[in-house]
Amino acid sequence: MDPVSLIPTPDAIPVHWFWLHLLLTVTTFLHFVAMNIMLGTGFIAFSSPFWRGDDVMPLNTHISKTLPYSIAFTINLGVAPLLFLQVLYGQFFYTSSILMGVYWLSIFGILIVSYYAAYAYRLADDRGGMGRLYIAATVILLLGVSILFSNNVSIMQMPEIWSNYFANRGGWMLNFSDPALLPRYLHFMASAVAIGGLAIALYFEILKRRGATDGDEWIKLGCNWFTYATIVNFAFGFWFLGALPEVAYNPATLGGKLFFILIVASVATIVPSVAYAQTGKIFHATGWALTTVLLMTLSRDILRLTYLKPYFSLSDLPQVSQYSPFIVFLLAALGGVYLVGWMLKTVWNSKEVA
Amino acid sequence: MNYPVWQLEFLGGGFLIAVIAIIHVYVAQFAVGGGLFLVLTEHFGHHRNDQGILDYVKKHTKFFLLLTMVFGALTGVGIWSTISLLNPSATSVLIHTFVFAWGTEWVFFVTEIVSLFIYFYTFDRLSKRNHLIIGWIYFGAAWMSLFVINGIIDFMLTPGAWIENHNFWSGFFNPTFWPALFFRTFLSVMIAGLFGFLTASFLKDAKLRTTMLRYSAKWLLVPFILFLASTWWYRAALPPHVEEIIFQKMPQLRNAITIFMACSPLLILGGLIMAIKMPSSLSRSMAAVMLVIGLMYFGAFEFLREGGRRPYIIYDYMYSNSILKTDVTNVAQAGVLQEGKWIENRHVTKDNYREAGRELFDVLCLSCHSVGGPLNDINQQVRMSSPEELELIFATMGQERPYMPPFPGNEMEKELLIDYLNNVMRKE
Repeated sequence: MDPVSLIPTPDAIPVHWFWLHLLLTVTTFLHFVAMNIMLGTGFIAFSSPFWRGDDVMPLNTHISKTLPYSIAFTINLGVAPLLFLQVLYGQFFYTSSILMGVYWLSIFGILIVSYYAAYAYRLADDRGGMGRLYIAATVILLLGVSILFSNNVSIMQMPEIWSNYFANRGGWMLNFSDPALLPRYLHFMASAVAIGGLAIALYFEILKRRGATDGDEWIKLGCNWFTYATIVNFAFGFWFLGALPEVAYNPATLGGKLFFILIVASVATIVPSVAYAQTGKIFHATGWALTTVLLMTLSRDILRLTYLKPYFSLSDLPQVSQYSPFIVFLLAALGGVYLVGWMLKTVWNSKEVA
Repeated sequence: MNYPVWQLEFLGGGFLIAVIAIIHVYVAQFAVGGGLFLVLTEHFGHHRNDQGILDYVKKHTKFFLLLTMVFGALTGVGIWSTISLLNPSATSVLIHTFVFAWGTEWVFFVTEIVSLFIYFYTFDRLSKRNHLIIGWIYFGAAWMSLFVINGIIDFMLTPGAWIENHNFWSGFFNPTFWPALFFRTFLSVMIAGLFGFLTASFLKDAKLRTTMLRYSAKWLLVPFILFLASTWWYRAALPPHVEEIIFQKMPQLRNAITIFMACSPLLILGGLIMAIKMPSSLSRSMAAVMLVIGLMYFGAFEFLREGGRRPYIIYDYMYSNSILKTDVTNVAQAGVLQEGKWIENRHVTKDNYREAGRELFDVLCLSCHSVGGPLNDINQQVRMSSPEELELIFATMGQERPYMPPFPGNEMEKELLIDYLNNVMRKE
């Protein structure tokens, strides 16, 4: 069956696709940062006691306090890219979600359990015993959610496998036959561990600057996680690149050229980030690491367009212009940024009140 | 027709959506009214200079945070994912039409999360003034979320002038926008009172418990009159056809109407009883019962609102089987098996006519009928009708049976589907 005949007809977008894609990229970047912190710090809290024993519990107490925040913000910051993805790629995304409907819907149940497990970890009397069980449940479930997300992206980008639906209409489809699926997943997960390590270092660096004296050990530990996970991630990255169709990085095409440039730029920014982390310059390391995440987000956008190129181009989307709701959204966003900024500033400047 | 159909047989017929939506919206409405409850109760505690009340607010906030931010937020994303799996075409219309309304709602959602975290974790850290301001910011953001979502939800029931002009603002400020906004606002406040019963009933200090139970009873009872007035306004704003479907033509909605009518006096009575001084264990049981009654009350309303759209998923625009009203004639001429994108048996032979019948059932019926499930079970309904009556149902769809869309296929497809129902569904 010709996959083109299966692709649903898209609905009209209200503004030029550029604006929607800009919002998609920016919010995806924010989501990735939060997701990396959530999964990375959770993974470190889960795995560190295996070789550091109870010595690492003071760190885990800090992570247990921040984990519910990072889960909340990961989910919240995931809503916006999910929205803009549906507007631009809904005909692909809804289809892939339906094909794996059972798994897709299960994500929300899994997230609820993992979220409550994170709260249980926070509220537990100690980070050992049952606490280990709670953090294990949180991390393993979140890793499971990630593989389901990777599957959805894979099915979405490959309409050529969609006709498998006719043999499997119950929403039980996954796409482990995609050679890029596993390396992509591992690349993302290693990235999360690396950024999680750096987030730990940054957190204790900020506390240190506010007068805390017991954070040096954790700054060093975080930087080491960042460094080693990044080194491992080079291997996953090359595996991922090797598993991609050649057209993805073929410099003869515009998409291939852009993708190639972005990947090279990502390598060029992560190297100084690691170097700064190893010399204790955490803010510099964070700046370069965030630049890398942004570049990787952009390269992912380009890769999606390359995968879908035989079937779709953004300029194909019909447009019926209505810009006034867009302006209202921008004004609301400005107001929201102001309010959130004011609240954070108020807390930052607050002292204990008797 | 545009998208594949997820064969959700037992849980189909709207059951999955109904369960997730009712539970989610109950908690989401609590997230709005409960925000006002938090900040006004904190004012109340300061006004009476009562540390017990302030401690109660803190405990209630913890419960509120764990329920609304985890369960409420995730079921919220879950419900939209559910409708995108079961009604992708309608979801696509909603997302494309209201993308920036959703975006604006997301901004309020971010503000809610930040303010609620800060509110909970800074009871002993911020000045009284700033803490209360944070509480008001939370409530403002939560109510604005309701404001935005209300426009989109009611668009599905009463799209108004949008049908003609496809203008965002016509769809958003649709004919039931304002009455529904007041309706949901008052309901949110009442739900805050119901959850207030629950947490107050766990207070160990008997005097404080009675004080807070009576305080919560006011949250339930005082807005009730305004709520009933907004219900009347809401009903008056409905197009005559919708009102007729809900209150006269659709037998499946009668139970929901009965529950809604019966729960009103029960809530008032329960609210009055909760104000009586009683032992802690009894007040806990009563609080749980009141929450269940509130859920039934609210669930019945949501069920009526959803049912009132029939035979549409977006009223007067898209039928519940995802076929546009304006496309019905074209589809009838070309045939569903030819027009549908996700059809395997386009050419019917003696070897595949049952499979073709099955595909027609999936595309045309599965969005409203479950197979062996608790809602609109097709097996049961086919078994209740003789083959002749089944023919009659097909002949009267969209006319004497106004809650069903007109049959959109050609004569051959009608025969294929009836054959499938008679020879497969009747025997399952």
